[in-house]
Amino acid sequence: MNRWQNFKAGLIKDNPVFSLYLGICSTLAITTTVNNAIGMGAAVIMVLIMSNVIISCIRKITPDEIRIPVYIVIIASLVTIIQMLIEAFAPALNESLGVFIPLIVVNCIILGRAEAFASKNGVLDSAIDGLGMGLGYTLAVVVMSFIRELLATGGCTITNPFNTAQVLLSFSIIPEQYTISLFSSSVGAFVTFSVLAAIVAHMKNKEADRIALEEKEAKKKEMEAKKQAAMEAKKGANVA
Amino acid sequence: MKKAIHLGVFLAVVSAIAGGALSYVNGITSPIIEENKLAVEKESLLVMYPEATADDFEIVDGVSTDTITKVYKYNDFYIFNLVVSGYKEGTTFLVSIDSNTEVIDKYQPLSNGDTKGIGSKVMDEPFKTSLEGKVASEQLDTISGATVSSTPVVKGINEACEVMKGLK
Repeated sequence: MNRWQNFKAGLIKDNPVFSLYLGICSTLAITTTVNNAIGMGAAVIMVLIMSNVIISCIRKITPDEIRIPVYIVIIASLVTIIQMLIEAFAPALNESLGVFIPLIVVNCIILGRAEAFASKNGVLDSAIDGLGMGLGYTLAVVVMSFIRELLATGGCTITNPFNTAQVLLSFSIIPEQYTISLFSSSVGAFVTFSVLAAIVAHMKNKEADRIALEEKEAKKKEMEAKKQAAMEAKKGANVA
Repeated sequence: MKKAIHLGVFLAVVSAIAGGALSYVNGITSPIIEENKLAVEKESLLVMYPEATADDFEIVDGVSTDTITKVYKYNDFYIFNLVVSGYKEGTTFLVSIDSNTEVIDKYQPLSNGDTKGIGSKVMDEPFKTSLEGKVASEQLDTISGATVSSTPVVKGINEACEVMKGLK
């Protein structure tokens, strides 16, 4: 797999949330606002890239028997560092994400990629994989939170995480009487998640069908060519 | 045996490096986090007393219990920063008590660790108005249906009043 394909895979085809179904817990919980989703996505990208790079660096000296505890120590430390930095420099974001920042430690995406990719590949490839998967996660939570925030509040507001008073983008398109507050609750999270996961599954199925059809046609052509070659050979033998 | 030592040492080295990195980052961020918290607290003090300036609140040293984390003095009022636990830890609030009459002048909730909804009623206006104007050392009303969250708040205020008597 070349690097570009490796990077691209995490975005849609192997999207950690909608395709691999990893890290669903935090996805359902923090996608109430786009602001939260961007903050959480940024934190996950940082942790994923750094954990992938470190784990890839030490993959040759890490004893196989204790690789999981080693990964956990590294991931937990990185998450704690990120949490301290967020608490110091973006306290409002820290407050709104709350317990879900420390819970990045148990986000299966991080350990999953460490085990499945970083422990077997080079540093650069692992960093690219971390970025791709992190962006895939961010894309998933941003799309989900946008739909939920739009339906629940009628609009969307994005503020500067370092200064919440500074509004970067704010719009409202659905009148208040038509908003559906259900989407700000966990039921709304499940509904949004299942619809989006179904769309991604449909896209994947379509692609799989296309590939299967192409393969079938190629096989058919091959058979016909073989048949023709056999007939020609028979003709040649008859003439002789 | 040799293998076990090798594994143990490897894990210990990884943990030591991780611990070192954590301690380094903590050293950088903890003063900033403290400063942020103080700024939020000062802002809340100014919400309670908009006519004051941040410098008008003097920190009263020497008071530290499990519940009371900080005490400020502003004119005749003692303002207590309290941390109490309802279902969960992390309900913090400010309460200012008149040192002459022991009447609760202002109640300002800062954060709430309990479940949103019932547990977070201690953050709401009706609870605030039910407390303000009452004598802090007497029986105070809790919120019916949210007693687990509101009782520690009321107990905290009673304790603050006791401490204030010692400060006068």
